[in-house]
Amino acid sequence: MSIVSAPHTAPAGFLGPRSGVSAPQIVARGVAIDFVHGGVRQRVLTDIDLAIPKGSFVSLIGPSGCGKSTLLKVLAGLLRPTQGEVTVAGLAPQQAARQRMIGLVFQDATLLPWKNALENAAFLQMTGERSTARDIAVARARDMLHLVGLNGAEGKRPAQLSGGMRQRVAIARALALDPEVLLMDEPFGALDAITREEMRQCLLDIWERTGKTVVLVTHSIDEAVFLSREVHVLGDRPARIIETIAVTLPDPRTDACLTDPAFTRAEARLRALLIESHRSGRGAP
Amino acid sequence: MTVARDSAGDTAAVERSFVGDARRSLSDVMPAVGLAVAVLVVWELVVRLFGVPTFVIPAPSAIATALVESRAALMAASKATAVEVLFGFVLAAVAEIAVALVIVRFERFGKALYPLVVLFQNVPKVALAPIFILWFGYDLAPKVVLIVVIAFFPVAIDMLAGLQSVEPSFVALMQSVGASRSEILRRVRVPHSLPHLMAGLKVAITFSVIGAIVGEFAGASAGLGYVIQFASTQLDTPLVFAALVVVSVLGLFFYYLVEFAERLLVPWSPKFERMQPDQAGA
Repeated sequence: MSIVSAPHTAPAGFLGPRSGVSAPQIVARGVAIDFVHGGVRQRVLTDIDLAIPKGSFVSLIGPSGCGKSTLLKVLAGLLRPTQGEVTVAGLAPQQAARQRMIGLVFQDATLLPWKNALENAAFLQMTGERSTARDIAVARARDMLHLVGLNGAEGKRPAQLSGGMRQRVAIARALALDPEVLLMDEPFGALDAITREEMRQCLLDIWERTGKTVVLVTHSIDEAVFLSREVHVLGDRPARIIETIAVTLPDPRTDACLTDPAFTRAEARLRALLIESHRSGRGAP
Repeated sequence: MTVARDSAGDTAAVERSFVGDARRSLSDVMPAVGLAVAVLVVWELVVRLFGVPTFVIPAPSAIATALVESRAALMAASKATAVEVLFGFVLAAVAEIAVALVIVRFERFGKALYPLVVLFQNVPKVALAPIFILWFGYDLAPKVVLIVVIAFFPVAIDMLAGLQSVEPSFVALMQSVGASRSEILRRVRVPHSLPHLMAGLKVAITFSVIGAIVGEFAGASAGLGYVIQFASTQLDTPLVFAALVVVSVLGLFFYYLVEFAERLLVPWSPKFERMQPDQAGA
């Protein structure tokens, strides 16, 4: 794919993410989720409405246990909503996932310990009924490892890689599917502070180069603000989107953004919302 | 199961020496050798000084003599026992792997089968030895069956744990791109379970030796268990101890055979890839 070999010759539509509105790629309408535990039915998510434009970078943030990961699973097609409807690129999420339109990254890299970085990155492409031929899958995996900055580590097994490098392999594996959307569930949650910052930059670079739609679940306020165009705050029980904040920072985003007044404002607003919903969450029965 | 963990701990030093330099491995082993020699010397002295009858506790020298004098008989007996162990162990391993795969692949049948497997584990299988003799005669068959029955559980359970402990998020990842149950089993669960399987096999090989000896106790005309029983009825205690030494050596040999296979089959096992702090210079 040209995305990697010629990152500087922007194809048509490359500036899509920043050039304003396009049709929403991920849509949720009136989504609600019930969990049943010990015969007791409990609603964890309610009235979720989302319209995430193609090429956008959106974060879902909320207190821990509020159901943001559950929402991501619904968008990924791993869970069916109890009520409401979700579409990804106009398809049901399960169908979209089968057609390789969804790339998933979890907090744990979940790599196969007996395969090296290259084989791990190629693995999902060679899975399922739409399996890609091995040499094509491997070539693509190699490109993606380069994209995430892992040149030279192709032959290493996960145990020989650092936590940050393992997570890069997981991102490369998701990108190797050439998905339309990248769904990430606290992908940097298990990493140390410096590695996190590196990975943020890496993710921004990837997003700018590939123009994928990214939905990021995080509990880190500054991560959400620094990376996203839009932050959806989840709160209350059952959880719903209590506020959506548009982040207007200059592009490309650099460390300079961290001291931008817009950054500080968004951060303060999110902090206030999270503290509030954290309190009300604790007060709930 | 505890056997696996204990023996893994015991062999830690040996494992390190496997990759470490020869001088260091020698200094690792020296204390153990020194202690063993000291115990043997004290033993010999106590037996001689207090005139303990040989048929009660033979001196190490008497055991060594028996080892040398009866070496032909002991070799023949070892061969018989080794054949039983090998047959039983291989059959047990195949049966265990098959049952674990069936339980995981056919969930419903597995739900019916698993409790029965656990229930069966509570049968004192050593007590089955006389029945197997009754059913299968005095030769190889009853011993092999006993070994299969005794060695079955640890491997089946370890393998099952390995098959089922794949990260759920990875399974979700594969399902999301349309992988079938059998593809997930074949490409992820089975390789993932191999380190667990090897841990189980190490327990099983130890159990297999026990099973062979017990089987021979119950009724045999050859094998180390037969030698032990025969010699003890003759009050030939040095030969009993000599046979015990041979059984232990045989057990160790088989154990390291499995350990060696583990290194070949799963070099990526977390056990080998964990980095050790280099404190050699300290």
